[in-house]
Amino acid sequence: MSRGSNAGFDRHITIFSPEGRLYQVEYAFKAISQSGLTSIGVRGSDSVVVVTQKKVPDKLLDSSTVTNMFHLTPRIGCVMTGHNADSRSQVHRARVEAGEWKYKFGYDITADVLCRRLADISQVYTQNAEMRPLGCCMILVAMDPQHGPVLYKCDPAGYYCGFRATAVGAKQTEANSYLEKKLKKKPELSHDRAVQMAISCLASVLSMDFKASELEIGVVTKDKPKFRTLSEAEIEVHLVAIAERE
Amino acid sequence: MLGEAEPQWLSEEVKTGTTIIAIEFNGGVVLGSDSRVSAGASVVNRVMNKLSPLHDKIYCALSGSAADAQTIAEMVNYQLDVHSMEIGEDPQVRSAATLVKNISYKYKEELSAHLIVAGWDRKDGGQVFATLNGLLTKQPFAVGGSGSSYVYGFVDAEYRKGMNKKECQQFVVNTLSLAMNRDGSSGGVAYLVTIDEHGTEEKVILGNDLPTFFDQ
Repeated sequence: MSRGSNAGFDRHITIFSPEGRLYQVEYAFKAISQSGLTSIGVRGSDSVVVVTQKKVPDKLLDSSTVTNMFHLTPRIGCVMTGHNADSRSQVHRARVEAGEWKYKFGYDITADVLCRRLADISQVYTQNAEMRPLGCCMILVAMDPQHGPVLYKCDPAGYYCGFRATAVGAKQTEANSYLEKKLKKKPELSHDRAVQMAISCLASVLSMDFKASELEIGVVTKDKPKFRTLSEAEIEVHLVAIAERE
Repeated sequence: MLGEAEPQWLSEEVKTGTTIIAIEFNGGVVLGSDSRVSAGASVVNRVMNKLSPLHDKIYCALSGSAADAQTIAEMVNYQLDVHSMEIGEDPQVRSAATLVKNISYKYKEELSAHLIVAGWDRKDGGQVFATLNGLLTKQPFAVGGSGSSYVYGFVDAEYRKGMNKKECQQFVVNTLSLAMNRDGSSGGVAYLVTIDEHGTEEKVILGNDLPTFFDQ
């Protein structure tokens, strides 16, 4: 294969390498794992759940100000994995896009459209030399007015897709295998079962037992379609239920 | 037929004529409006709701040019949507009023609308703001629109501090009824919105259910 005349810049900016790869985009994926956190999303029959680790590395940090779960609209929520600053930038952009859509078209944006919009924006970064891709991955959850519970993921490459369950982050390969196995038989997941499956997945791949303060859980359900995060007391209830089942 | 001009109301600006009023009571606010939209001497809509939501617990009352007022309300609604997501809680009434004031002031030569902003927030409870011509002022109550001139005397004499919710609603309905009787550009039904800590309640009072006064 010829060397090509890229002068070695294919690793520095987003242009193709001779093999047809975009190194910067691949490095962006590696940046997601750098944060060391893993996030899981599971779609039940009438709810969607996202779970992520809450690691507060510094004892001086005020843990109530540390979060990876964000409201994008009252009904659409997300969990961000990867670079903190890039995550906040993408969340802000998503909020503005959602607001603009409602202003322009007169109705609330749906999760799939918002995800596509963010993926399209991420794709532009893979074509521009002056901007790097964002080192973060967003999992969106919502109760779609027509399709019910939906779970979407968009990544730095500009790829997006809907999922029954998915994982992002340092341990995503192991977590995805775990979820594939558990969802192979296409079980009907109630809200509680969905939450507990997500927590168990995380506990299994990280080989640790969680305390309620080490987890962040965000849910949307048919009864309460607005995105909300569970309090420590509610998380404790689920942890106890998992322990009792074992 | 040749040379026939179009009807006059097609070339008149559509104004909401209007009587609008907002009052603060202990624990919330009541907003009220009439429902007549006129283009010159024609009534183009006799049931328009001029109380427009800016957020869950913040409403504004529209008066002046119908298009200008609606556009300002929609723009501020959009800005408050994003703002409330960013701050993670319900926006303050003061923020909504400031956003309205900023647009009204910047474009004061082109726009001809007056919005009264009223609502409830956790920090300062019920509040009413007037934004006429681009100023921002917090008041215990505010009236606006062409019909307001006829009822300034009534509100000045009858307003008391510390009214409860029911008294406030009655006061608003009385004021609207009097204004709608005397102002040619106000009429139709009365719309009422009551906002307090527990929620927002919208009500319509049909023409024959409005209170009557000495000449009726």
